[in-house]
Amino acid sequence: MRLLAPLAFAALLQAQEAKNPATSTADVAAGAKTFRSHCSECHGFEAQGGRGPNLASGVFYHGSSDAELLRNISDGIAGTEMPGLFYSPDRVWQVVSYLRSLNARAAPAGDPAKGAAIYGAKGCAKCHRIDGSGGRLGPDLSQIGRARSAEHIRQAIATPNADVRQRYWFVSATGPEGKPVSGFLMNEDTYTVQFMDLGEQLHSMNKSDLRGYQVEMKSRMPPFPMPAADLDNLTAYLVSLRPKGGSK
Amino acid sequence: MKRLGALALAAMTASAQVTFDRLLNAAKEPGQWMTYSGAYNGWRHSPLDQIRRENVSSLQVKWVYQMPTTHLVETTPLVVDGIMYFTEPPSNVVAVDAETGRQFWRYRRELPSKINVCCGQVNRGVAVLGDRVFVGTVDAHLVALDRRTGDVLWDVEVANYRHGYSVTVAPLIVKDMVISGIAGGEYGIRGFLDAYDAATGKRRWRFWTIPGPGEKGNETWSGESWKTGGGSTWVTGSYDPSQNAIVWGVGNPSPDWNGDSRLGDNLYSDSAIALDADTGKLKWHFQFVPHDVHDWDAVQVPVLVDDEFQGRRRKLVYWAHRNGFYYVLDRETGKFLAGKAFATQTWAKGLDPNGRPIRLPNIDPSPEGTYIFPGVQGATNWYSPSYSPVTKLFYLSTWENRSVYRKGEQEYTPGNRYIGSVPLIDLPDDPGWGAIRALNPKTGDRVWEYKLHTKPWSGVLSTAGNLVFGGSDEGHIFALDAATGKEMWRRNVGGIIRSNAISYMSKGKQVVAMAAGSSIFTFELAGR
Ligand code: HEC
Ligand code: HEC
Repeated sequence: MRLLAPLAFAALLQAQEAKNPATSTADVAAGAKTFRSHCSECHGFEAQGGRGPNLASGVFYHGSSDAELLRNISDGIAGTEMPGLFYSPDRVWQVVSYLRSLNARAAPAGDPAKGAAIYGAKGCAKCHRIDGSGGRLGPDLSQIGRARSAEHIRQAIATPNADVRQRYWFVSATGPEGKPVSGFLMNEDTYTVQFMDLGEQLHSMNKSDLRGYQVEMKSRMPPFPMPAADLDNLTAYLVSLRPKGGSK
Repeated sequence: MKRLGALALAAMTASAQVTFDRLLNAAKEPGQWMTYSGAYNGWRHSPLDQIRRENVSSLQVKWVYQMPTTHLVETTPLVVDGIMYFTEPPSNVVAVDAETGRQFWRYRRELPSKINVCCGQVNRGVAVLGDRVFVGTVDAHLVALDRRTGDVLWDVEVANYRHGYSVTVAPLIVKDMVISGIAGGEYGIRGFLDAYDAATGKRRWRFWTIPGPGEKGNETWSGESWKTGGGSTWVTGSYDPSQNAIVWGVGNPSPDWNGDSRLGDNLYSDSAIALDADTGKLKWHFQFVPHDVHDWDAVQVPVLVDDEFQGRRRKLVYWAHRNGFYYVLDRETGKFLAGKAFATQTWAKGLDPNGRPIRLPNIDPSPEGTYIFPGVQGATNWYSPSYSPVTKLFYLSTWENRSVYRKGEQEYTPGNRYIGSVPLIDLPDDPGWGAIRALNPKTGDRVWEYKLHTKPWSGVLSTAGNLVFGGSDEGHIFALDAATGKEMWRRNVGGIIRSNAISYMSKGKQVVAMAAGSSIFTFELAGR
């Protein structure tokens, strides 16, 4: 063990200099195959994310350089659920190439500055916050570009009902005195439910006290039909919202 | 009650050591909890009755032990002569005063930085014999510790962890041997069950759960597939002294969700096996799922009961399997006697007269995905069921849920996942739900159910106080009326529960203990 540590460190230094030697189309295909059998369980079939983060955006918290990707995939990330892949570097390089091919595809077409203007004009901030300003009814979008693919964002704007996260499922209940209450599901267990109503008030209720209770998986965000170019610009703006500094 | 207290006290002063004889006669010492399931029969039933239906509403926290860990806690504590022994994940062991929760010692296992375990670096508990405590480790060793100090007495390698082998199971003591299983069914291991000399750590025998060339059953594996056939043994089995037989469950075949490379029934994956305790030779087997492609391990605690069955007295095994069916087996032959679905299942028309599933068409994983009940995590899983001799009911935690089973690429390389697909285990829009259920163990008919909003990962404990204790992923520990399933008591302890409860006596009072979050919680009745 003692002996191994300096050795591993030397290997790491070397790897930091390293350029990916496996970038052919065949390498990308081989990398995709490895990815599907060993990674997609957590990162999704198209690396879009699942139990593990989206790997298709080109920005990585734990390091975006080729050498850092090689290290994180080979060794895993200590203290997280990310396991190591005990493969030789040439095989891991192919996986890195596969991820890079997705990153290239992910770049959206539109103009972020024009998109920011559309965001303001359409009143998105009524429900969404960016860097601390805006409403609370929808998810905070300050770092949406890190967590979601461009495709997902485009779909979220055009057809909000397509994919509604549990936190935004909608509770309709009838209180003990017959008073209707409703809002976004925040938490639920066998005995109680917690939600935020449209006036941004928090509620916690015993289910056994309620006369009626229903949870709908529909989005409270209205669809925003718009010309394709506008949608591109708006998407490009949201994709550009990522943590500043930190990751390389 | 008084009588029980006196008994427990007598045991404490009479013998400071755990002998095989004490383990055989665990029922005579209800104040202790000396093996994983409380007794060799696998019942997880406490004969204590101080805490009862009538007074359980005054149950309150006795003490809490918080573990400095971020890993999931799946441990079942043991309590012997006033000391509680439990594991702290990944592979540490702690001994505390069972009355106060104050620590005597802690064994901290140094681990290599790369450990490949499929589903978290967990451990389900220790075994105790003589002056020793035994623990398996995620780097696939078996370690004997001094019961008084936690010092290492011996440490042997069970298998090579670099190739995906790990030990998460609580060992079982039989005679002077430590029986240990192995995990790694997602890494293409070749599974086995081992017996080690408790004094020296020397291996006495190994039963390969995947037979090699020339052995019976090898013909159920095409080509070389037996070499990477899986068949892990990661949940503690039971022991039948009347036949000197160890009854144990075997896990899934590898790769999990693509069976193309391993044509055949794939014995003894997904089977109950009965081994001669002295030789490790197979007495009988029963395979629940021939050629499994859904990851439905037989990793349940075998419940051994002697009772009338269809007009004659028989030695039985009760088994609620991950595949959604409940089974009654003959313990002398392994023969199938009865079976019935205990949860929603959409893969089999039923069971044939030999207990073999009659599969429906189009149930296998497919590239585009196949929706099947039960889901990948099964209609039940490793967490313990319970049998109460008072109500004569079988209790278990169940899931009503489905998964999308996908078929994908597979390729074996040592130490890497060998699963052959990427199932969608939990459907975000259809998360499923759970329940505690009571079954008539002779028929599998449901007697009652206690519904849960989420799917429970914790086992059940029945007691002579006519209660069933259980827990949920929502962080509640609850006590139900064993006869009706009515909730009698409940506490929110605020951490997901992935463990099994036990009960013991301390200073004349009955205690119920269960791990929740990263803590051990103990409860007793209010007042003296
Ligand atoms: C058991 C689930 C699991 C598997 C299997 C898995 N990962 Fe991960 N991975 C994770 C999790 C969770 C993280 C996030 C770690 C964190 O930051 O907490 C992660 C992080 C990563 C990161 C770093 C992301 C970043 O933002 O820096 C990369 C790159 C990565 N994984 C690639 C892979 C590849 C390639 C494979 C297959 C060889 C793989 N992972 C297999 C769960 C998994
Ligand atoms: C009436 C409130 C409301 C308005 C106005 C609104 N949204 Fe939403 N939005 C929501 C809610 C609620 C959700 C979460 C449910 C869902 O996924 O549809 C959401 C989800 C989203 C998501 C997906 C976020 C994720 O993490 O997956 C995006 C992207 C988004 N909105 C963008 C916009 C844009 C751009 C606008 C303006 C054109 C807008 N929203 C206007 C309420 C609103």
